[in-house]
Amino acid sequence: MGDPVFAHGLTLAVWLILLVKTVAVFVIVLVSVLFMVMYERKAVARLGVRWGPNRAGPNGWLQSLADGTKLLFKEAFTPRSADRLVYKVAPYLMLVPALIAFAIVPIGGTVTVAHNTTELQLADPPWGILFMLMASGLAVYGVILAGWSSRSKYSLLGAVRASAQMISYEAVLGLTTATVVLVTGSLRTSSIVAAQHGGFLYHWNVIHTALIPFALFAVAITAEMTRPPFDLVEAEEELSGGYMIEYASVDFAWFYLSEYAALVTNSAFIVTLWFGGPDGPRITGHSIGPFWFFLKLLIILFVFVWIRATLPRLRYDQLMELGWKRLIPAALIMLMVVAGFQINREWGFVAIGAGLVLAGVLWRAIDVGRGATVVESGPDPRVAQEAEQ
Amino acid sequence: MEQYLPIVLLLALVVGFSVASAIGSRLLAPKRRTGAKEGPYESGIVPRYSPAARFPVRFYLVAMIFIIFDIEVVFLYPWAVMYRQLWTFGLAEMAAFAIVVFIAFAYLVSNGALDWGPRQRTGGRPPADLARSTAATVRRVPRPEELIERAGPEPRPLEPDGAPGGAPPRQAQPA
Repeated sequence: MGDPVFAHGLTLAVWLILLVKTVAVFVIVLVSVLFMVMYERKAVARLGVRWGPNRAGPNGWLQSLADGTKLLFKEAFTPRSADRLVYKVAPYLMLVPALIAFAIVPIGGTVTVAHNTTELQLADPPWGILFMLMASGLAVYGVILAGWSSRSKYSLLGAVRASAQMISYEAVLGLTTATVVLVTGSLRTSSIVAAQHGGFLYHWNVIHTALIPFALFAVAITAEMTRPPFDLVEAEEELSGGYMIEYASVDFAWFYLSEYAALVTNSAFIVTLWFGGPDGPRITGHSIGPFWFFLKLLIILFVFVWIRATLPRLRYDQLMELGWKRLIPAALIMLMVVAGFQINREWGFVAIGAGLVLAGVLWRAIDVGRGATVVESGPDPRVAQEAEQ
Repeated sequence: MEQYLPIVLLLALVVGFSVASAIGSRLLAPKRRTGAKEGPYESGIVPRYSPAARFPVRFYLVAMIFIIFDIEVVFLYPWAVMYRQLWTFGLAEMAAFAIVVFIAFAYLVSNGALDWGPRQRTGGRPPADLARSTAATVRRVPRPEELIERAGPEPRPLEPDGAPGGAPPRQAQPA
């Protein structure tokens, strides 16, 4: 269990391997962010029948690097009314969890360097999934502190919206991830991948847990990252920029970077949790896990871009209603159904029946709840007044 | 315990990167402070009030209701890991727990705790504040010909202090 590299204690070779792996993961995340920004802009442009950026570098692929470099040379000022310390620290509070979360993603297989076998995965702790939830949970602090410390109306509204949205969908995220833990019986990411191994597609959790938990997870993680169509946090028409409106220079660049790092990392988690990670057909007898992993990652990333180009933004009350009154109960019921089917078919159907009863109760409760906020019935007195005039 | 080590290394690398970028920006970026630049951004309008210190209580409510589910999720993880040893007992235990949480949740929903948007009225018009309706706005803002009617053919006399009628130009707020 765990990374076999530690089998013979911490020798110099082990330290070197760890350092190389650490730097490699860091570079992978940074390069994939640079790539992703361009990939998204290009794909959205083509979906909107435009060219997209095509000036900096070959076909414009160095545009995001140019933007980042430019931002480093821009003035980093603090608004007069801002809370200086919190204002300066907030971008880094968002950057750090976004960049370290990739550490637990298994890219696939093991390699042997100088008699030291190591996994293609930076860290394989027994609490891997909790680390993932921690990283997405900590992002809320960066958002709310950035918005609050700027002392601007738009940023405060953006931050309040963002924190309510992120915690609402975090519950769904936790419940659906628990479904995966349930069918695997382990929090270790390498065990989750190993449990889905063998039998292309059929053993993957997306099929194994009957698709619905995955669908809920996908919606929840989109909202958690405040990606379209859940990007009310930075709704241009209403808030012009949301929580990061007062930021410029590198501080702004780090918000942008952490947003895309979170996108790449969370897509990697989707691949790991639901699509078998590096699992895929062998080619000429060789296991090519990393190839399958990055292919799946690329497809998931494209789907996120596709969604952004296709779906219009939700209204805030629709967002909250979807999260609380649909997704959370559905995720909870689905977890119990999966738990029932883990024992045997009879318990599974019992769980489905109980779930339907609970869904009915909630249906009624939602109906009653609509009535609770109705002020009064009958014609509006002010309407009558207006008619008299 | 060694399994923590790579994460600590990566954390150190990322923190180092953050500090280096902050120092790099400080060295490379110009510093030209102006009053307008340092004011809060409100689409070019000079803000007249300090930013709202209050926001709708609904957001606090959401945070509190979230805690119910977060605690449930916390209990779910050890249960999910141990499920293969608990089987039917585990299912019954968690079902009981889930139903209790679910009933509490249904009670909250039936009280309208998670309703957003304006209050609704059943009868009469669709929910809208009449003072802000389209009809009211059209009625409040007079049409051009009405303005001419009201002003009359003569040009308006000057105000006693010599300024032309209407509100004085707004002064920029001193910092």
